[in-house]
Amino acid sequence: MCARGVRHGETVSTEARAVQRDGVRNFLRVTGLKSTVDVDSDAQAMLKVAAGDRRAFAWLFDRYHASVARFAFRFVGDRERAEELTQDIFVKLYRNAKAYQPTARFKTFLFRVATNHCLNEVRRGEYRVAHTSTEAPDGEETGGVEMAGPDGDRPDQALAGRELEQAVGDALRDMSDRERAAFTMCRFEGMAYRDIAEALEASESAVKSLIHRATLAVARRIEELQAGTVPARSRA
Amino acid sequence: MSCHFEEDLTAYVDGELPAARREQVASHLGGCTGCRATEALLRHTVARVAELPDFVPSVDTRRAVLAKLDALPMPWWERLRTLLRPAVLVPSAGLAVAVGLALVVVGPGPEAPEELEDPAVMELAANLELVEDYELLGLDSPEDLEVVASLHELEVAQ
Repeated sequence: MCARGVRHGETVSTEARAVQRDGVRNFLRVTGLKSTVDVDSDAQAMLKVAAGDRRAFAWLFDRYHASVARFAFRFVGDRERAEELTQDIFVKLYRNAKAYQPTARFKTFLFRVATNHCLNEVRRGEYRVAHTSTEAPDGEETGGVEMAGPDGDRPDQALAGRELEQAVGDALRDMSDRERAAFTMCRFEGMAYRDIAEALEASESAVKSLIHRATLAVARRIEELQAGTVPARSRA
Repeated sequence: MSCHFEEDLTAYVDGELPAARREQVASHLGGCTGCRATEALLRHTVARVAELPDFVPSVDTRRAVLAKLDALPMPWWERLRTLLRPAVLVPSAGLAVAVGLALVVVGPGPEAPEELEDPAVMELAANLELVEDYELLGLDSPEDLEVVASLHELEVAQ
């Protein structure tokens, strides 16, 4: 399992969390599913979506949209585009719900849809990988990301955080699409290599190589940052 | 970093190697300073990446997605299923029977004006607006109408 496991609902805002909580509670009450949310309940919900059940769709959306948005954001490096992509991915999921087979884990299925959609959009040229737009040109924050932890409020720490974000963003931009997809699923979603391989329709061995190369690329950028050799235009 | 164990180091750090290979890498690390340095670099990188701030999607995303679903065209089988519901089918069939009966019983009748059965009259009725325009322009002879119909050819000739 990759190092950063992200629990559902861990990163969403208070308002979004409230919507999510209500959605889950209502869905469980109406459908009679077990209150312990597990992999099977995802599959059951998806089968209901295939039968046209909007409540089941809303429940899955509340459960996974933060993950998909996070993936899309790291993939294209732009907040607005990430949100558009997230919307498109969930609409695509709804329209193609009948294609889902409960033999596949829902999250893997979802990330295959998400990866294909993001790859297609980037290849089509509509979305160029930016990774520079989390901040406005004058350095004013756009609110695209939030610094985690109380230390983020200290100016020196905030600057270090922005520089780290920039260094990782630069590395992501220079990676191949598949390296970026594999790295993002591993480091930001905590997905296992096996699941990433399924989402990317690749072998585990190929995923191991993709993640290794991508992690080394990020390591080099961070080393440059720490050595103070990052080009001036790339620094916050 | 040319050691053949190097390719496995990220998977080792991520705990993704099978037990046997993990043992091999662990024992190799004891004697290879290059791989030890790379392993430390990878662990440090993974830890730094975990410090990155999270992307928080807008709360409007949900509303936007549900609105897009509402705007989706209904598939034909869904439309058919809607039409075949008893709540729709029974009143519709009843209404159709009633209209059919009314036509049979009432019919056009002998007093109906003969012009209504002429297709040309019905065509005229459908294009009344156009006829009014022609009358307004004083175009009532067949020659005038011919000129109007061929106006585009005159424009090309000019």
